[in-house]
Amino acid sequence: MNLKNFSYFVKEALISLSRNRVLSLATVSTMAVCILFLGLAVLLTVNAGNFMNQLESDIEIIAYLDDSLSDQQIRAIESTIQATAGVQGVTFVSKEEALQKLQQKFSEEDYDLQQTLGKNPLPHTYEVKAVNPQEVAQVAQVIGEIPGVYKVNYGQGVVERLFQVTKWVRIISMVFMVLLAMGAIFLIATTIRLAIFSRRKEIYLMKLIGATDWFVRWPFFIEGILMGLVGALIAIGLLSGGYTSLINNAQTALFFIPLVRQQSFLIQIYLSLAAVGVVLGTIGTYISLNRFLNV
Amino acid sequence: MLVQFYNVTKVYGNGVKALNDISLKIDRGEFIFLMGPSGAGKSTFIKMLFREEVPTQGQIFISSRSVVRMKRSEVPHLRRSMGVVFQDFKLLENKTVGENIAFAMKVVGAGNREIAARTTEVINMVGLKGKEDSFPGQLSGGEQQRVGIARAIANRPLLLIADEPSGNLDMATAEGIMDLLYNINRKGTTVVMATHARELVKNAGKRIITLEAGRVVSDLCTLE
Repeated sequence: MNLKNFSYFVKEALISLSRNRVLSLATVSTMAVCILFLGLAVLLTVNAGNFMNQLESDIEIIAYLDDSLSDQQIRAIESTIQATAGVQGVTFVSKEEALQKLQQKFSEEDYDLQQTLGKNPLPHTYEVKAVNPQEVAQVAQVIGEIPGVYKVNYGQGVVERLFQVTKWVRIISMVFMVLLAMGAIFLIATTIRLAIFSRRKEIYLMKLIGATDWFVRWPFFIEGILMGLVGALIAIGLLSGGYTSLINNAQTALFFIPLVRQQSFLIQIYLSLAAVGVVLGTIGTYISLNRFLNV
Repeated sequence: MLVQFYNVTKVYGNGVKALNDISLKIDRGEFIFLMGPSGAGKSTFIKMLFREEVPTQGQIFISSRSVVRMKRSEVPHLRRSMGVVFQDFKLLENKTVGENIAFAMKVVGAGNREIAARTTEVINMVGLKGKEDSFPGQLSGGEQQRVGIARAIANRPLLLIADEPSGNLDMATAEGIMDLLYNINRKGTTVVMATHARELVKNAGKRIITLEAGRVVSDLCTLE
């Protein structure tokens, strides 16, 4: 394709876009709606993933220590835990700190918990983070066998169920996005087919006169790409506007869900959506056009 | 020899046998009428020439090249050596007369200066001087067919194919169109024209091929 032809193709594409205004508008709207939904799905998936990661990283193992241990023995246990495979970090919580935390939970200043309880009944504990939250059960078992540790707790039962849930949330959101993308391609191909159908006489003529397939295709591709891009930009505008105001306003109401807010990451998502618009426009045009080129 | 058909048979997907064992030759510079009742196979014959259809059996050569064995990518080049005129004109309604002709030249990659010169030339040739900027809807049927012919000859084809070019026109207008086609033929272009109109063919003194039920039933120089 030489430069002279390219300007001709662009001119043809623009002329036909403005001449078939209604169909162009229908295609652009379809694109915008499809990409908007796709974008919503991506943002939901990304945030769900982020939330799941956070939940998983909150998982920790609490190792309860025997009351009779000396300071030296306690420090020895810390080194043993530190050296255990799969352990990311260890924090010591003394029985005094534990009591203070408990006191804070009751949060009544004039109420002295220690006085009520007499002797501090809480043990020293180690809070252990696993490198991989999925391995928490194995790590907990190893730690539980260290002499001086009389009990480990990592939310047995609950954690396993959480992993089941996060796994399914991830699978379902992937499947949902793939289905949405396929639906979008079908919808867009149908709209573009309508636009091309109204010009089948022109295509037939071009082919009979001796136009190559690519000569016929280029203006349509340029049209499809432009429509995909414009549709994507509309969708991205709506999406980024909505998401920004969600971050700014709704975060207080939804404080327990950590929304993804890194600008660079969000921009990456928006750019990918623009690329998706271009790709959808191209694939849609390709699918719709081929039938009419068989002359 | 421009066109050679060897034992060409065409059976469509629905089982209809449109052409049945046709063999014939067309020389450069000939003017040929293709006659026969509806459904005799005229349209199929014509579509074979520009390879919209390919034979089920047999061989077709155009300028000594096999149309049957031709690759899909070579078809555009075959078609550039031909011009096609349709019964329903098939003009682009949203383009002017000049643009319709320029479009045909642009499609095959002609340069802008060449297009401008040749468009003026063929518009004059078909007698439509001054109508360059009219839209097809503003022209009479005869004038529209002249645009169709101008478009078909713009790329200087070796072979001009006309499928019932006067089918939608009254007798006087049809005769004008015939004169134009004879003129084009006299300048060296081979013409194949399918028609029903015996009165146009009768005294023309041209070769007449008659098809019936997919077979050539006569190939004569006058109509009896």
